[in-house]
Amino acid sequence: MSIDDVSVDKPTPYHFDRHSPEYRLQFETITEEMHAKCPMAWTETYGGHWVAAGSKEVFELARCPVVSNDHDVSGTGTGYQGISIPVASRASYVRGGILEMDEPEHSNYRGVMNPYLSPAAIKRWVPFVDEITRAAIDEKIETGQIDFVEDLANVVPAVLTLAMMGVELNKWKVYSEPTHASVYTPEDSPDRERINEMHREMGLDIIKAMVEVKETPRPGLVSALVHAEIDGKPAPEIEILGNLGLVIGGGFDTTTALTAHALEWLGEHPEERKRLTEERDTLLAPATEEFLRFFTPAPGDGRTFAADTEFEGTQFKEGERLWLSWAMANRDPEVFENPNDIVLDRKGNRHFSFGLGVHRCAGSNVARTVFKSMLMAVLDRMPDYQCDPAGAVHYDTIGVIQGMRNLPATFTPGKRMGPGLEETLANLQRICDEQELARPITERKDTAVIDWK
Amino acid sequence: MKVWVDRDKCQGHTLCAMIAPDSFVLDDVDGHSTAVNEIVPEDQQDAVREAAQSCPEQAINIE
Repeated sequence: MSIDDVSVDKPTPYHFDRHSPEYRLQFETITEEMHAKCPMAWTETYGGHWVAAGSKEVFELARCPVVSNDHDVSGTGTGYQGISIPVASRASYVRGGILEMDEPEHSNYRGVMNPYLSPAAIKRWVPFVDEITRAAIDEKIETGQIDFVEDLANVVPAVLTLAMMGVELNKWKVYSEPTHASVYTPEDSPDRERINEMHREMGLDIIKAMVEVKETPRPGLVSALVHAEIDGKPAPEIEILGNLGLVIGGGFDTTTALTAHALEWLGEHPEERKRLTEERDTLLAPATEEFLRFFTPAPGDGRTFAADTEFEGTQFKEGERLWLSWAMANRDPEVFENPNDIVLDRKGNRHFSFGLGVHRCAGSNVARTVFKSMLMAVLDRMPDYQCDPAGAVHYDTIGVIQGMRNLPATFTPGKRMGPGLEETLANLQRICDEQELARPITERKDTAVIDWK
Repeated sequence: MKVWVDRDKCQGHTLCAMIAPDSFVLDDVDGHSTAVNEIVPEDQQDAVREAAQSCPEQAINIE
């Protein structure tokens, strides 16, 4: 008699479709219902999968050793389908880097990237980030009008990521446009094929960078992965591409989403905006974590059970899919008092927004640094901004990223502080190259120096 | 008060260093945390308690 002989009934299915517009609009209600009735639920959508909505369930399963991130792209291994439910059409032939690797492979690759992404590594970039922010705002500061997404939050994460990779900064739109469009365009949209094509072109540019860095050394993440030794051998190109795609896909839209939501909320709560501006020394850090908790840009990740297992009476079978909902766990009243309120100085804010366990978002330090730079520059230079609710465009669905396409605002015009974006990017490129900013923290400890020649 | 970080559980979320910067030091390369001193000075105890409660991995032990 084996475990297969025993018929184990699943709980009554709970209808759960994260990709529907209804989910975004009903998020708090659905979350409360699931926490009350089924913090661990089975749903028949997308081929059938488990949904962990409660903080306890997410905490245990995110760290559970038999829960796999593997994406068997070739179909010759585990057969598991990685971290997207359903599998994203653009990701069907390339693994999503370390996020779709299990141990020990995951730590082998992660170790290559850590020295570029650690808190100490990112701290060196702060003046560089502030300078991109300064220029992006300068493009708009004298007009009294800005779109916080298109003109600011799309720009800064993209430029910094390219700098860290060792790709020319003036290519940022080649990377930014398909990355954002890829997230907010539904799988079944007629635009999908065109966007997948733009995505492939971006992929070709990355491959070009991978080839060029072998001939002409350039420090950065591309170089690190190209020259890495994994189990004594160079990494396969498809895995280098997957990891660079992850750095881009993981870092652009998420940071944009966080910034847009926070700016929108602060615009709606001017007394809180003022408080944050005046008390930034004590409030900016906890406020950042609270915005992360409440808006959870990356709302969850998929997993596959790699073995039969059990948690609190629920039986899971090998091969079954699981959705870990960081976003719903972040609203669990067991952990977060008044979870649906934004409390800028919230204590005990052990949120799930960067995931949990070994796959904790490797870009978390980048996200916080870039977010804080953009946020404080807006609060300082456009303190009276008012967002236009009619022009704000939230993603219809929050199944992949809880993001925004547009956030137009008006403000009292201010003075430019320096050159515009194009000229600044050229200067930053020179600085990046001369100071070798993209070297890892193990080779370069100095902070970036912004000068003009 | 004594504090130590469970190195197996710490994943480098860095909240502890944000909340109690005098009490935790982060590794240059992977951002993982170590307690500056196992014995926590009186004036750091509130912050260390808060840090322990704020760790997403619950990797900080105090006694």
